[in-house]
Amino acid sequence: MDFLVDSFLSALWLIWSRDAELLLVIQVSLKVGGTSTLIASGVGIPAGFFIAFRTFTGKRLLITVLNTLLALPTVVVGLFVYAFLARRGVFGSFDLLYTQKAIIIGQVILIIPIVTTFTISAISRIDDSYRKTALTLGANILQTAWVIIQEARFGIMASVILAFGRVIAEVGISMMLGGNAKGFTRTMTTAMALEYDKGEFVLSIALGLVLLMISFGVNVCLNIIQGRARV
Amino acid sequence: MLYELKNLKKAYGQRTVLDLDRLCLEENKILALLGPNGAGKTTLLEILAFLDRPNTGAIWFDSKRVNFTLGNLMTLRKEVVLVQQQPILFSTTVFKNVEFPLKIRNIPKAKRGRIVEDLLSLVGMEMFRDAIAHKLSGGETQRVAIARALACSPKVILMDEPTASVDVENQITIERIIREINREKRISVIFTTHNLIQASRLADETVFLYEGRVAQSIYENIFSGQIEVDEKGDKFCLLQNGLKLHTHSQKVGSTRISIDPNTLRISKPTDDLPERNTFKGALIQLSSEQGRIRALVDVGIPLSVLIPKEEFEDLQLSVDQTVYLTCPEEGVEVF
Repeated sequence: MDFLVDSFLSALWLIWSRDAELLLVIQVSLKVGGTSTLIASGVGIPAGFFIAFRTFTGKRLLITVLNTLLALPTVVVGLFVYAFLARRGVFGSFDLLYTQKAIIIGQVILIIPIVTTFTISAISRIDDSYRKTALTLGANILQTAWVIIQEARFGIMASVILAFGRVIAEVGISMMLGGNAKGFTRTMTTAMALEYDKGEFVLSIALGLVLLMISFGVNVCLNIIQGRARV
Repeated sequence: MLYELKNLKKAYGQRTVLDLDRLCLEENKILALLGPNGAGKTTLLEILAFLDRPNTGAIWFDSKRVNFTLGNLMTLRKEVVLVQQQPILFSTTVFKNVEFPLKIRNIPKAKRGRIVEDLLSLVGMEMFRDAIAHKLSGGETQRVAIARALACSPKVILMDEPTASVDVENQITIERIIREINREKRISVIFTTHNLIQASRLADETVFLYEGRVAQSIYENIFSGQIEVDEKGDKFCLLQNGLKLHTHSQKVGSTRISIDPNTLRISKPTDDLPERNTFKGALIQLSSEQGRIRALVDVGIPLSVLIPKEEFEDLQLSVDQTVYLTCPEEGVEVF
């Protein structure tokens, strides 16, 4: 018990003293996670909008596939992307494996289904009368789309926050595609796994606390957004 | 001519909701599209607003044939605006809602502000400029929606049952706004209603729609029923409330009937045996309408009756009075 308390106190001290190694790991995690969330939102929100609004053959099947991909294990994505980025893979010549870009690619694949499906759900809840109202007021297609996105903004923002929460806490992709290189591709989760292997719990606990704080912050944002949506 | 529609048909699956041979709607007038639920009023309004396209037929707007290509529709939509029955206000302030059409038309910000203030004042909503639009009542929402529609500077405003879900006070205000925008801004107004009194009070012209077609007569007192033959061989229409109405119709089975309010006769109860198609009922409403009196008599179903003023004075009728209502067979039209 003393060991746990000591580790916990040391971890708090690490956070308080803004330990350089700790800050670097947090920085990499936020950079990689933020970038992949941004890219996935750029793809997933328009895709979700398109799927929600258009009628096309295979729409139901596509939504089912996207729903299935919500439960995609990170190691499966890691393995899949690894096959493409490894030296013998199709994109091997780009030398992307064990870089932050590789982690971003994997994480984008992981969260695009999240952003897309939750955007579909948010847009589908908006009554068709909004589209007709925007059109009759003289809006063009893009302006009409913007009206609908604005009406569904709380749902869409929730999807982005959920996606960020997923990437910041994942370990499989970061480990398999990033390689856990110190100061370069070491994220909070991979650092925690490494420290655990080494039997060094202080940094692990400190990172765990930071991760929990980020998760808490993400959930607070989500709650605020959901609360506003009900107003 | 503002609108001219020829051989226009609109169907959803197997169900034809509009089937108009020819319909002309004139400019700078207030036009009422009158008809019961399911008559095709809303579908017609959406076609007139260029939000929906007919399956067949042609439309001329402002004497030009309408080409239903996306680019052309967008241009036409700038001249016509539809205010829906349950208007949708965007989830922002009242000011920003009214500002929206001006913003997408690239009107400078300072000018936008002035126009919005003027329009809110016209509809009596200037006090609500910073209010959250979704928190307004039904009548207030309708008034803001009208102000927003006016911000489009349209040639025509189409309104789908503008007073259907508002209280009497808002109804009066909305009717005043409709008159003002037509008389002062020279904007044509086409509105739907199933309230004949409102149509006659407000509109310069009225078009009656019934089951997707333009009806030539005043369709009022419309009911579903069953035409049967009694033991004497006489035909009667059995209405849903059990009322038996004798008819000359050749039809048998399920049908819909309309009773012309001009043919219905009110009399005071006497000891004499009432004649055929005479029912005892209570006079529940009286109102004045263009030199005549409209009476609503409850004979198990509410029937609207139009009486000349002199006859009304002779009868000395008052509300809650028990009366006889005679429905001549020639006044019953079977569809």
